[in-house]
Amino acid sequence: MDFKDYYSTLGVARDAAAGDIKKAFRRLARKYHPDVSKEKNAEARMKEVNEAYTVLSDPEKRAAYDQLGQGYQPGQDFRPPPDWDTGFEFSERGYSPGEAADFSDFFTELFGRAGRGGARGPERGFHARGGDHHAKVLLDLDDAFRGATRQITLRVPRLDDRGHIVVDTRTLNVQIPNGVREGQMIRLAGQGAPGMGEGKPGDLLLEVHFRPHSRFRVDGRDLYMTLRVAPWEAALGAVIPVSLPDGGEIKMRIPEGAQSGRRLRVRGKGIPSDPPGDLLLDIQVVVPPASSARARELYETMARDLAFDPRAEE
Amino acid sequence: MRDEDILTGAVLEESCLTLEELASACSVSTEWVVRHVEEGVLSGPGTTVTEWRFSSRDLWRVRHIHALERDFDAEPELAALVADLLEELETLRARLRRAGLA
Repeated sequence: MDFKDYYSTLGVARDAAAGDIKKAFRRLARKYHPDVSKEKNAEARMKEVNEAYTVLSDPEKRAAYDQLGQGYQPGQDFRPPPDWDTGFEFSERGYSPGEAADFSDFFTELFGRAGRGGARGPERGFHARGGDHHAKVLLDLDDAFRGATRQITLRVPRLDDRGHIVVDTRTLNVQIPNGVREGQMIRLAGQGAPGMGEGKPGDLLLEVHFRPHSRFRVDGRDLYMTLRVAPWEAALGAVIPVSLPDGGEIKMRIPEGAQSGRRLRVRGKGIPSDPPGDLLLDIQVVVPPASSARARELYETMARDLAFDPRAEE
Repeated sequence: MRDEDILTGAVLEESCLTLEELASACSVSTEWVVRHVEEGVLSGPGTTVTEWRFSSRDLWRVRHIHALERDFDAEPELAALVADLLEELETLRARLRRAGLA
């Protein structure tokens, strides 16, 4: 296990005052806010910053960390001596068990017991429901049509025989039903953190997100795609095959005189649900290059014979 | 993989979480949720507390508002304003994706 230098994570001196640590944390919490940040790995950095602040903002944890960390360098292999935390009582900073499970092994080894009734371990006869865990699941668009089975790996803290917290890696095979939409939650009852005493385990909540698709874009239940057509298909009308994410195909009628930017709606061909979404096709007329003598001749004939002014209505 | 190893989840549809379920899913107390509904920071659909039902969108809001209050000592109204802006940002990003621009 590598030693973590929480002071350098927050960019503060070892003797920094509590106020300066809070200031540094807020600056970084803003910089790496996962919804807003443009920094690379913002989410991973935010977890590190949260972990460092959890330790350095709590006087007891900070004192224990300072005492323990003397002489260690960041990244150096580290083992805490047995019963190193005698005399300390750690409190929480309002992290859910799911969030705390994202913290490093280093943190869990040192402070993981805090959420379980302090350094003494859970009191006899105490029962509480386990916390809910949150995770994101990244799906392909095809999965929304067909349903899918996904493997989800979770870090789950548990108490070992000596009353120490260890983090297990747990792999779940989860059936994703068809018809799920971006941002929806899937609840797996009883798959969260174990309860204390006779308390029930918490739930696992999965937030659904889709990988970008090369042809389709998703908005709620509706699918959008750009349908590229030749000028003669747009002018004369045509029937064009369009393949769908579920592997099926529809024959799409392009009305005569269609222009770029026109949107065609096919009801019920979006993400399947009740009611199903629609498929929306944005027509884009693609002009063939005048790359041969024959092509040039055809364009010149059109220019001469059609007397067409695309800017006439401006 | 055996079929019995595969877990099947329930998709949370609109307005399906009770007050207790919402609070538990967000690691906040039910009092925290009630206070925020009373202050108008969260919408409380239903007339009495026992009839309140929350959506997965509410769950998203509670998690964000709680984290903002915790990390920045933000007033509930300010945290709600930031959550409103984050929601708006997400809506606009979705429009960009739909237009193929993101």
